[in-house]
Amino acid sequence: MFKKTALLILLAAFAVTGAFANGGADSAETDEIKEITFSVNLTPLLPTEFWQVVADRYMEANPDVKVNLLGQPSSNVMHRDFVKTLLSTGQFPDVTVMASPGDFVSAGALMPLPTDEMGYLANPESGTINGDTYVALYKIQVGGMWYNRTVFNELGLDEPRSFDELIAICEAAQGAGYTPITMGLKDGWPQLVLASLILSADLLTENPDWGLQRNAGEVSFSDANVVKALEKYKLLTTEYANDDMSSVSYSQMLEYFFTGKALMLPMGSWVQGEEAKLNPDFEVGFFPIPSDNAADSISIWANEGLAISANTEHPEVCLDFVEFFMTDQMWYSQFLETEMLFPTTKDAVEFPMSDLRLEVGDKFSSLNQVEHWYDMTGDAALLPGLQAFFNKMTSRIATGSDVEEELALFDNEWKLVKSQM
Amino acid sequence: MKNPENRSNALFLAPGLLIYTVFLIIPLGLSLIYSFTNWNGLNPNMKFIGIRNFLLLAREPMFLESMKVTLLIAVLTTLGVNIFGIIVAAVLERKGRLFQLGRTLVFIPAILSPVVVSFIWSYMTQTNGGIINRILNGVGLSSIDLYSSSLSMVLLVSFVIAWAALGFYVTIYIANLNSVPEELYEAAEIDGAGAFRKFLNVTIPMLRPAIVINTITATIWGLKQYDFVKVMIPGHIQTVTIYAIERAFEYNMFGYSSAVIMVLLVMTLIISVVQMKITEKGSDIY
Repeated sequence: MFKKTALLILLAAFAVTGAFANGGADSAETDEIKEITFSVNLTPLLPTEFWQVVADRYMEANPDVKVNLLGQPSSNVMHRDFVKTLLSTGQFPDVTVMASPGDFVSAGALMPLPTDEMGYLANPESGTINGDTYVALYKIQVGGMWYNRTVFNELGLDEPRSFDELIAICEAAQGAGYTPITMGLKDGWPQLVLASLILSADLLTENPDWGLQRNAGEVSFSDANVVKALEKYKLLTTEYANDDMSSVSYSQMLEYFFTGKALMLPMGSWVQGEEAKLNPDFEVGFFPIPSDNAADSISIWANEGLAISANTEHPEVCLDFVEFFMTDQMWYSQFLETEMLFPTTKDAVEFPMSDLRLEVGDKFSSLNQVEHWYDMTGDAALLPGLQAFFNKMTSRIATGSDVEEELALFDNEWKLVKSQM
Repeated sequence: MKNPENRSNALFLAPGLLIYTVFLIIPLGLSLIYSFTNWNGLNPNMKFIGIRNFLLLAREPMFLESMKVTLLIAVLTTLGVNIFGIIVAAVLERKGRLFQLGRTLVFIPAILSPVVVSFIWSYMTQTNGGIINRILNGVGLSSIDLYSSSLSMVLLVSFVIAWAALGFYVTIYIANLNSVPEELYEAAEIDGAGAFRKFLNVTIPMLRPAIVINTITATIWGLKQYDFVKVMIPGHIQTVTIYAIERAFEYNMFGYSSAVIMVLLVMTLIISVVQMKITEKGSDIY
């Protein structure tokens, strides 16, 4: 009797588990309406309502298509993790916001894009993996140092042309009673921006193939040039940043800068949205992080866009939707304006720009563009998991940890990940 | 089923067993299977690799570091909730409105979400502007940076974990204290014992069953800590659970991550059994 009951329970359990595992796979769909799912990254600045605009506009232009939005269920769930969960449960979306697609490509989840049909993009073959493109880039952002121009002028400081000049600015700011650089480690990520900007300026300006060479095992994290770059990062954070950085969050870090307590903020161009919101009583300027003896390159993020499922039932609809995303002028200009982004399309996109955005745009156009080290793309991208390690490592270095020891651990992580591939 | 009683027993048991099987037995079994594979969580293909994951984690510096942090947090929180739990229970078990209010106040943190508690303490312990440092500054003392080193962060988060759980343990101790026969205290008084002597020689021994259960639950709770550490000090230090989740979702090492969880599971079981044996031993003295 007990055996019978146990067997029944086990069978019922498998039935229930199976039912959950298959949930949503058989979505109701009529012959007339083609349904696609679109997974988006929800943030305070980009909530569901924001993304719904493009879905609605596409459905209005294509009445035979229904676009269902998906977003991570909670703000503490990374969109990337959410999409991985969808993939492992057989619910991978037809179209998804995607950055660093390497592990999804190796899992066979993404469709190679027909770049010859994507003439609307300025560089459709960006970030190729084994010769194929999997992400249609929809935005470019830049990174560098945002500074209090009003105080710079008062102190007679100019934008630095070398790393030594940047240190001289920090010394002058400290001498005048300012915190030179605002930094926050509490959220676990803002510090990586500065470390990565220095690595971009020092490594990628000299050698744009550094990422490819690292993945091939030809260079290592313990090499002298990497050590030197992160020693610079350590110097800036331990000597010239706010000493309470361990308990400072990203929003507090911004507050330190926009209320005038700190003179410089190392961050991406998305902070222009904050500048517009907080409206500081000083003028904000921008300069790229200089290398040892030059300031002729600018670090860019060109790693995020839209990817299509390899198993979608409607590849043509998905491709059309991706194109619509970047060619519908009303939507795309609104999308770019929200974070003062740079377009990836061949055609220019008009949207209202602040003076600061115009200044950044001039530098973006005139300087040598190098990838943000942390977000290198395609075959050069950091192996899965190494970004997470870099976050922790830069946090520890900022609080005084030994650079060479940390980079030796980083190499060890690389070997571990490589051994699992 | 010839016996109607057996039939009804089976019917009553079935829903519970079903839930238990679906949400515990099957996932646990799958985790055990995955721990012997190289599954990356994304690709349906996986290869059986024997005990390679276990050998790998045994020499992984990051795993060993996270294990050290986890054990330290477990020891500190277990000591904290039990030592302060007994002391607070001894004070609050008395009758009276003030003590009743005290019992309610002590229990409040136990019903709050760990995330909420973590945020509250994060703001309170900020080096600049946190209420604790403001008070210190107000009385002429300089600010203290509770996030200045890995050790100080472990101590801080252990304190917060213990603070959040204290009410739960105090409640168990109070319930146990109420069952201590009054005659034992009277006999001790006749023998000339003072308040401290009575506490040491009567109260503590009579609390043995509660101490056993509280020590085991606190240790298990300490070993599986995730949310407090994740919210309060993300990126600075990591526990084994954070390490395992990161390896699974960031590194795509689901097989390896399952091995980590299996090690934690076995370790928790061993520690619990050892604790039970130690506390059982000598219980016949009283």
